[in-house]
Amino acid sequence: MKSTGKKKLYLLFLNLFFICVCLLALVPVLYVFLLSLSSGGGALITGASGSLTLENYRKIIVEKPFLQWLFNSIVLSVGTMLLAMITSIGASYAFSRFRFRGKNAAMQLLLLLNAFPQILSMFAIFRLFRLMNLLDSHAGLIFIYAGSMCIFGIWNMKGYFDSIPIEIEEAAKIDGSGNLQLILRIIMPLARPAIIVTAVMVLIFVWNEYLFATTFMLREESYTLAGGLYQLQANDYSRSWPLFSAAAILVSVPILVIFFCIQKHMVSGLTAGGVKG
Amino acid sequence: MKKHSTKIYAWLYCLPAFTLIGVIVLFPILYTGYISLTNMNLYHWQDYTFVGADNYIRALVKVDSGFLSALATTLLWTAVNMILDVAIAYLLAVGLNVEGLRARRIYKTLLVFPWAMPAYVSILVWRVGMFNTEFGLLNRFLTALGFDKMDFLSRNVPAFLSCMTLNLWMSLPYMIVMIDGGLQSIDRSMYESAILDGANPWQKNWYITIPSLKKIMAPIIIMTTFTMFKQFDILYLLTMQKGAVSGSTLQTIITYAHQNAFVSNNYGLSSAVSMVIFVFIIVFSLWTNRAARTERSEQ
Amino acid sequence: MKKKLYLKKISLLTACVMTLSILSGCGANPAPTENAAPANEAEAPADNSSEDAASSEVPASPEAVTITAWHDNDEAMMNALADEVNQALAGENITLKFEKKSDVTGQIRLYGTDAANGPDMYLFAHDSLGGFAEMGILEPVANLIDPQKEADLLPMTLEAATYKDVQYLMPVYYETLLFMYNKALWEGDIPSTTDELYDYMAAHTDANAGIYALVNQHSTSYNVAPFINGFGGYIIDKDANPGLDTQEMKDAVVYNSKFAALQADGDYNTVTTLFNEGKAAAIIGGPWLVSGIRDAGIDLGIKSLSDFTLPNGKAMAPYSGVQCIGVLKYAAESKKDAITRVLEVLAEPSVGIVLAQNFNCAPANSKAYEDPQVAENEMILAMEKTAQTAVPMPNIPEMGVMWGPAEGLLAAVNKSGEDVNDAASKYQQEALTAIADMQ
Repeated sequence: MKSTGKKKLYLLFLNLFFICVCLLALVPVLYVFLLSLSSGGGALITGASGSLTLENYRKIIVEKPFLQWLFNSIVLSVGTMLLAMITSIGASYAFSRFRFRGKNAAMQLLLLLNAFPQILSMFAIFRLFRLMNLLDSHAGLIFIYAGSMCIFGIWNMKGYFDSIPIEIEEAAKIDGSGNLQLILRIIMPLARPAIIVTAVMVLIFVWNEYLFATTFMLREESYTLAGGLYQLQANDYSRSWPLFSAAAILVSVPILVIFFCIQKHMVSGLTAGGVKG
Repeated sequence: MKKHSTKIYAWLYCLPAFTLIGVIVLFPILYTGYISLTNMNLYHWQDYTFVGADNYIRALVKVDSGFLSALATTLLWTAVNMILDVAIAYLLAVGLNVEGLRARRIYKTLLVFPWAMPAYVSILVWRVGMFNTEFGLLNRFLTALGFDKMDFLSRNVPAFLSCMTLNLWMSLPYMIVMIDGGLQSIDRSMYESAILDGANPWQKNWYITIPSLKKIMAPIIIMTTFTMFKQFDILYLLTMQKGAVSGSTLQTIITYAHQNAFVSNNYGLSSAVSMVIFVFIIVFSLWTNRAARTERSEQ
Repeated sequence: MKKKLYLKKISLLTACVMTLSILSGCGANPAPTENAAPANEAEAPADNSSEDAASSEVPASPEAVTITAWHDNDEAMMNALADEVNQALAGENITLKFEKKSDVTGQIRLYGTDAANGPDMYLFAHDSLGGFAEMGILEPVANLIDPQKEADLLPMTLEAATYKDVQYLMPVYYETLLFMYNKALWEGDIPSTTDELYDYMAAHTDANAGIYALVNQHSTSYNVAPFINGFGGYIIDKDANPGLDTQEMKDAVVYNSKFAALQADGDYNTVTTLFNEGKAAAIIGGPWLVSGIRDAGIDLGIKSLSDFTLPNGKAMAPYSGVQCIGVLKYAAESKKDAITRVLEVLAEPSVGIVLAQNFNCAPANSKAYEDPQVAENEMILAMEKTAQTAVPMPNIPEMGVMWGPAEGLLAAVNKSGEDVNDAASKYQQEALTAIADMQ
């Protein structure tokens, strides 16, 4: 009895601790949220702000092609996610399971390539895409995003793939499964947390990316949420803070919803499989 | 026979990824290398010609004391941020995984919020809403406590710490989620037997959790190290954006390169500088790699 | 079992979305034609008012042309400008369409040679002219319009639009900084010398309480230019020599730093909020602040900066920035006639009057000032007056790399408390290196 009481107290403290941490971490977010509800055309919260209003949200949703931008963001992030995941799961599996010459060197090389600041690549990609007629196209952006997240995906998942015991696969191989089936039937379910986390990461990256989205997308109808927001509000002189804040909150919420929903699927598939440390 | 076929399979599985990486990542590097050998600049925008290694000679001149101190700052920045990032994320993730913590999904979701905002929004909000001398919450807090207002970004040390705080705020969610995922993969039975052996929580962490995490986390930590190393937005937008130069002279090698080559719109020269920095990054990674390997072999 | 089903559903769903995305991806990509005009036309109806839509959906003549222009300005203002032009050109099947870009100069640098995706023209301050002219992406406006049509444009604006004796740009309106004050907060008359102004500030500022007499973006070179030019200093001269370490410059920087100490943080957001919230009695700013000030319900008073005398007996002399239209070479080739017509309309007084009446811009066309409403506009009058002593921003390419070092110098002295001599020589060196790097 005594130990359950102690445990309860411990959990209470832990809960308090996390509530404090969350509050602390969310201070800037709350700041943005309050700003988004302020009615004045002013810039910052000065303490003396007037009544609260949802007007800014209405303006963003109604006066800007918000739904179009939302749709574009969804198309781009889902498209990128699929392309990046298909390519990097394949490569990651190969790096994790096959022994071939140059494997380690290739992994290292990928890491080095990834170290090249992406912003410096912009000009080269611009030239290339101009030739390939991929400017101002969502397909082009999907290639850019998938390409820049692919190395990340490979590296992110390889460690997890490594931790799946090869014995499980060998058993399946005896049953006559091919490599592709192995990936689909065994690796994917077992490495589900890593795969989901990587996929969500890709999604968030695309969702929040704005430099390529604003440089390569030329028409207002083709912007993403983050890109449209940047295009309209990045300039100090023409920014409306309340609108900007409302838009920022609207951009973030879908990510949080996705994250909240996806969490229970991030529970390991491994514990059931029985893995030796 | 069998060995041969696995080799083909291996490359076959890698092929789509490598094609994509080749076009989006490798090609720009090669192209930058090509431009670095030309005199492409404002005055030769469309009629640029090869100038050989000229730009490299000029780029190497930029490897001066300013560059070296920027390099030192970058290394310090990377090390401090990585240590704090991993340590704090580890503590929080372990806390989140305590059995019986019902609200963990809510905590996790809330903690992920900083990550859900586009980076420029976060940075702008911190600059204006947190660090600002007049309206920033930090300064309001200070004045409420009776202290003087403080300009967090005008001198190097406070600016470094401010940028670091923001960087951690922005990067912790990712690390928490990754470590949390790693923790889930640890076999529960190991803890059960440890409890039977009478291990305390500290011992469980030290002897079971951390060693088990190492393997899964290694690639992630390496990746994040590079991200920290090439971090540009935070320092640039907080302290040196046009119209909001804060007065600190903190530079990392990327901001240094930006200030010393990119503003001039001399694409040839700035490409050469990019390539020189790239070589530095390669050397840095080989060095960390060797350090990691010696550590591994010592174990 | 349940989980597997779930995964299957997800994969099915994602497959659908993917298909959709590829389709729409292709859809979003304009057909690979040499000329982007048809694609633009097809989109025009979605954005324009219904009246325009009706006319462009069924083009009266096959030569309907849409001229696209990029800008980084107030959207309402640009739309008003476009409406005015489109009204004048309604019978000629020419439509001018503005698109907002966050980084116009950067985008023009990339797309300035890309006829398929780039714009036809852009609107930006004249200081970016030299760089674009050297890149060879601009068609001189002088080649497109009869000089007779430009006879009414103010000589100062034409000078700003000219680089190496060629008029590249079409001036639309200009701006100068002004002394703007809150009539309810300012006590007594506005001083006529900067020393008196400083005394007033010293007496009426309480930084710890957040109360200020005058705020300014004191570490931004554009906002300190009134001091620099008034002291006889310069950021860069006509021959591209930076002047950060000249004695005049140092004097101006030191003098400005005295003011800066009483002006809060010099960030744009901070100073405008202070003024709009009634925490600062005055601000040095331009017409772009007016809409925010009106919303805040402030009774605004205006005084020209040239009405303030510096200790050396000269008037403060801000930079003047002329907002100009630049035409890209490829557009001048493919749409010459339509562009000429747009430029001709822009050179008329009517455009200036619309911008002046609704947005307090000082028109480039001198005839626009004959309009009674414009002639009464206090703000425009003040800018007109300031323009007589104002110095047009340099438009040589080297100016582009000067903003950084100049701002660095100001921030070092104002914010980090560095010695002006050390900082001046350091940033002068930085400027020289940056200029050398351009070649």
